[in-house]
Amino acid sequence: MSAAISNPVPASPATPIAVGEPAPGSAALRRRQLAAIIRMELKKGFFGKRAIGLWLLALAPPAMLALRLFFTRDTRGDSIAELFDLAQAQAIFAGAIYQAFLLRVIVFLGCVGIFGNLIRREVLDRTLHYYFLAPIRREILVLGKYLTGLIVAGFLFGLSTVASFLLTFAPIPGGTRFLLQGPGLGHLFAYVATTLLACVGYGAIFLTLGFFFRSPAIPALLIFGWEGIHFLLPPLLKKASVIHYLQSLMPVPVSDGPLALLSDAPSKPVAVIGLLIFAGLLVAISARRARGMEIKYEED
Amino acid sequence: MSAPTKGTNDQIVLDNVSKFYGEVLGVNRIDLTIPPGITGLVGPNGSGKTTLMNLLVGLLRPSAGTVSVRGLSPDRPETMFREIGFATQVDAFPTGVTGFEFVELLLRVYGFSASDAKARATKALDRVGLTEAGGRKVAGYSKGMRQRIKLAQAMAHDPSVLILDEPLNGLDPMARAEVIALFRELSTAGKHVLVSSHILHEVDLISDQVVLLNGGYVVAEGEIGGVRDEMEEEHPVQVMIRCDQPSLLASKLFEADHVVEARITNDRRGLLVSTKDADGFHLLLNRIVLENNLAVESIVPADADVHAVYQYLIEQGGR
Repeated sequence: MSAAISNPVPASPATPIAVGEPAPGSAALRRRQLAAIIRMELKKGFFGKRAIGLWLLALAPPAMLALRLFFTRDTRGDSIAELFDLAQAQAIFAGAIYQAFLLRVIVFLGCVGIFGNLIRREVLDRTLHYYFLAPIRREILVLGKYLTGLIVAGFLFGLSTVASFLLTFAPIPGGTRFLLQGPGLGHLFAYVATTLLACVGYGAIFLTLGFFFRSPAIPALLIFGWEGIHFLLPPLLKKASVIHYLQSLMPVPVSDGPLALLSDAPSKPVAVIGLLIFAGLLVAISARRARGMEIKYEED
Repeated sequence: MSAPTKGTNDQIVLDNVSKFYGEVLGVNRIDLTIPPGITGLVGPNGSGKTTLMNLLVGLLRPSAGTVSVRGLSPDRPETMFREIGFATQVDAFPTGVTGFEFVELLLRVYGFSASDAKARATKALDRVGLTEAGGRKVAGYSKGMRQRIKLAQAMAHDPSVLILDEPLNGLDPMARAEVIALFRELSTAGKHVLVSSHILHEVDLISDQVVLLNGGYVVAEGEIGGVRDEMEEEHPVQVMIRCDQPSLLASKLFEADHVVEARITNDRRGLLVSTKDADGFHLLLNRIVLENNLAVESIVPADADVHAVYQYLIEQGGR
């Protein structure tokens, strides 16, 4: 049954745009909205309760190096760092400290925690609708969240890379000269750039997984395994791993061991551009997914 | 069911909208045209109220049919959400924010400049009576304060359509009265105020029109009086008359065919009459009162409110 609903009052005009304010849909408005999202998310990313774990994770490598430096002494009581020469230190940092630990474990897990939760955590906290109800394209929201993740991950793990590098080289004989007059700063720059690109690549992967999986733990574990065995993969499959491109950016080549299947490493420009395109594609897929995303927290 | 008017820029239009969650029905074949004013959305739990509201704002996408809010589609969020404010039932907020920050930060996301966002947030908090509490963390707010801060956030950008899911839950009587007055003010300004509630008395009190939902279907819509009139045949209208001679009045009323029942109250000062023709009844009553010189204390509709309509349509399954 039905009855006609009367129209008791005239409709109001559309919300006016203030003089000097950017028009809806304009690039200026989108930039302003992007900045607002990043500002709002950065606070959570750096100082939220869940950020504590990320800070601890990022500080773990330099903390372990510092502890090793101060508490591991040889029989004469000298720091063990003094037992290494510069060449040994470079090889140890590139292989064991940076690639095996910092890049493959710390940055990888950090990116799972940061990017995998950008959307998923909002759904679990039941706060995503505040963004979805704003006059903003969801593509801008996804981009804003991704950029926030990059800033947080880049800062934390960039800092971790710098601290680990300095704690490795500064105490060894000739380390200061290596850093200030030799190629040390160039190496440091290359390692930081590699870390940032790792955040770009892994970040895009886990952002996307956050849209497709309720929990990113299992796919993250699979990717962790895939990245871990990439040196055993045939050349074609190697190209489907992030670490393959990151390795070519490292200033000191790292041997993958006797079992590794050899393949041509991509050139630095190919690695950088390839990773950026790969990340861009994944962010675009995430944005498309967000556009059609529904929110249903509970039954009414 | 009223036919929806497509393309109208001052109305909310749902055109044959259905939503299924897999095999489970959310809402089915909803045709609605809602004009500005306060519209109450009424129905028991699981009737589809929240689903309908979520469809209006694009948090859910219809399985079939189309939704238009003042001529705008959820596919164009940049324009649509300048015109819509939605306060959900969800009692969750970004962590660590104060009431003021909650409103102000989201206004920045909406695209307002820093100074404009601050001014609007201040005004919105003032309108819901949270100026003093604005500097405190939302996590420390009472349920009523959290309801009010959601309301402030929903209307801070001055939307022309406010959609509010159970907005009066948790409010104390004073706050309820203030919020209802605010709805009236917004309605008078020509805005849509769509309010869901299961507290029928409140819906009756505040709504210009109602939409009754049950099991995912719209079972009635319109002004509550109009809806009630359409049910006269199945459910005769009841009128309570308090007068000095209820027995005489009853005997005179029974001469009319449309009067199906008349019961004298226990205190013998009142008469509850059931009639299938409300207009004819009131004419007849006037004539009897004048001809018999009855002293009438009051004439009150006994079941012309949303509660009665709800009971007839939903609790009794339309019997």
